[in-house]
Amino acid sequence: MSDELIHIETPFEFSESNRQEVNELIQRYPVKEAAMLPVLHVAQKQAGYITPGVMRHVAELLEVSVMKVKDVVTFYPMFFEEPVGEYVIRVCYTLPCALRDCKLVLDHLKEKLGTDIASETDLAKGTTGDGKFTILKSECLASCDVAPVMMVNDDLYKNLTPEKVDEILGGLT
Amino acid sequence: MIQERRILYEHLDVPGINTFDVFRQYDGYKRFEKTLDEYQPDEIADMVMKSGLKGRGGAGFSTGLKWSFVPRDIEPRYLCCNADESEPGTFSNRYVLEKNPHLLIEGILICCYAMGIHTTYIYIRGEFTLGKRMLDQAIAEAYEHGYLGKDILGKGFDLDVYSHPGAGAYICGEETGLIESLEGKRGQPRNKPPFPAVSGVFNKPTVVQNVETLCNLPFIVDKGVEWYTSMGPTYGDTRFDPPQADQNTGTKLYCISGDVEKPGVYELDLGLTCEELIEVAGGLRGDRVKAVIPGGSSAPILAHYELDTRLDFTSLTLAKSMLGSGGIIVMNDTRNIVDCLLNIMKFYAHESCGQCTPCRWGTPWVRDIVQRIADGEGRTSTITRPKFGVTENGRWGDTGEIEEIYEDLDLLESVANNIANVDTMTWNTICVFGIAVSWPAVSYMRKFRPEFEACIREGKLVTLPVDEATVPPEENYAYQQRIIPKLLET
Repeated sequence: MSDELIHIETPFEFSESNRQEVNELIQRYPVKEAAMLPVLHVAQKQAGYITPGVMRHVAELLEVSVMKVKDVVTFYPMFFEEPVGEYVIRVCYTLPCALRDCKLVLDHLKEKLGTDIASETDLAKGTTGDGKFTILKSECLASCDVAPVMMVNDDLYKNLTPEKVDEILGGLT
Repeated sequence: MIQERRILYEHLDVPGINTFDVFRQYDGYKRFEKTLDEYQPDEIADMVMKSGLKGRGGAGFSTGLKWSFVPRDIEPRYLCCNADESEPGTFSNRYVLEKNPHLLIEGILICCYAMGIHTTYIYIRGEFTLGKRMLDQAIAEAYEHGYLGKDILGKGFDLDVYSHPGAGAYICGEETGLIESLEGKRGQPRNKPPFPAVSGVFNKPTVVQNVETLCNLPFIVDKGVEWYTSMGPTYGDTRFDPPQADQNTGTKLYCISGDVEKPGVYELDLGLTCEELIEVAGGLRGDRVKAVIPGGSSAPILAHYELDTRLDFTSLTLAKSMLGSGGIIVMNDTRNIVDCLLNIMKFYAHESCGQCTPCRWGTPWVRDIVQRIADGEGRTSTITRPKFGVTENGRWGDTGEIEEIYEDLDLLESVANNIANVDTMTWNTICVFGIAVSWPAVSYMRKFRPEFEACIREGKLVTLPVDEATVPPEENYAYQQRIIPKLLET
């Protein structure tokens, strides 16, 4: 086999505090595999996205095959297999938000950040050149009474208008 | 005007209600103490059965009945609380989790006591980061004060509660999908039977309940069955002779969004009409109602003349729709139904889990057809209906007329009905996601056919006035077939 074909993984280890958290999470279930989602969330927070190294480490930790971890990672939209921006912006575009003009918000974001909307298979498309922001369309964020809404990392922003989006982005940079 | 009756949401806006101390001041955990002191587990299960509480998550299945299916001789048993609220138009659980998580824990305690369960997993949506933080704090506080853990309040009852974050998949709100996801796999629903009550998470008997259902329990225990059944209508189920009681008891957290002045969550007795709810929510934004989705985006749509339908489990089922999770989306006369359907179909095409072929391929297919119609490229074709008679040249032959049909509309109905047939209520998929796709697709198309036809005919997105866009009542099959249930006479 030529050298190019060998897949190079960056090894991944949990930080000390995360290791404790992960061990505590695994204790909660009668089967180790069940801790998959919570553990992957912790790993993604530390590594930024799910690298092949993360998958291998999690697989060893939960005593399952790497393929099984990959299986889960590809199924759930919240896990990224590619690098994403420092701030991941999820804009809800489902019906209640659409009825309240979420398109204006999306268009404004695109124009302001100078990037397209990322798709699940091509995250780089929606990430700004400096790696600061990624724009994603999101399914219903369960805040239809204060539509349109968006999430920036863990924070929800309500009743958006283009002006409000400017304000929020200004606060981030 | 109908007044709100706040029970679950009564103390929601009290500052600091998310902390143990404040919650305690408002009778917090007293109802659980009462449960432990005064009732045997079976008595609680019996109360819930008599209360007529129906699952608030979507299917509206009787909670007491569900509990009765759980075998008591298999250990351990599990409770999974479904906090994976992702149905478009539904947002009541979020407020409970963010503002009053102790109420949920109290409901869980009562449920677990009644069922002899010692482990609970709360499957919370991955996007609910604030909700999860609040819930985790509340769980930690409950452990600290001895309301969770080993030997609770010295009565020998053990319970562990854990929160489990999801990761953004809509299908994990389906109970067996949730169980698969909880086990650390892809959230692809399982075949039923076996039902989760018999073989659920880790192949053990599992009760899966929605947040709102569990939050009702403290109040049923505290104020009694009689008080609970006094709220909401009880219909007579005329399939039985004498008619059996069909209870729609309690309050419902109605989530109303879209074109109303004051969208939000309103806690009201079950059984008010759609019109009344719009009035409660500050009235319509716009001139006229064009359509209302009564139970989250999966529910069949109601046309403007169907707004006298009562919003409860029985009435909506008999009106060929469903209450579902209680997410009401109102659309005014400026909205285009084709555009709305396109939005919903994009959602479902994205969220199909990919397990069953009819859904995996059918959902994007339906989306593509609607997209085509919305882009003004909807297809028409001609068919010849043969009819024998005297032709122009005076000879006996085919005088059939060439008729133009809207091919894409027929195709849309055919594809959707092959994922799940909305007329026979049979689905070709493992879970009910199939019916959640074809219900909106077929009902929008049937009830707003003139608007779909206009879009194809004109070759662009055309929004017709309400009366022209809707099929008249006499051609609306679902409307013609609907039954208005009568209250049970006692």
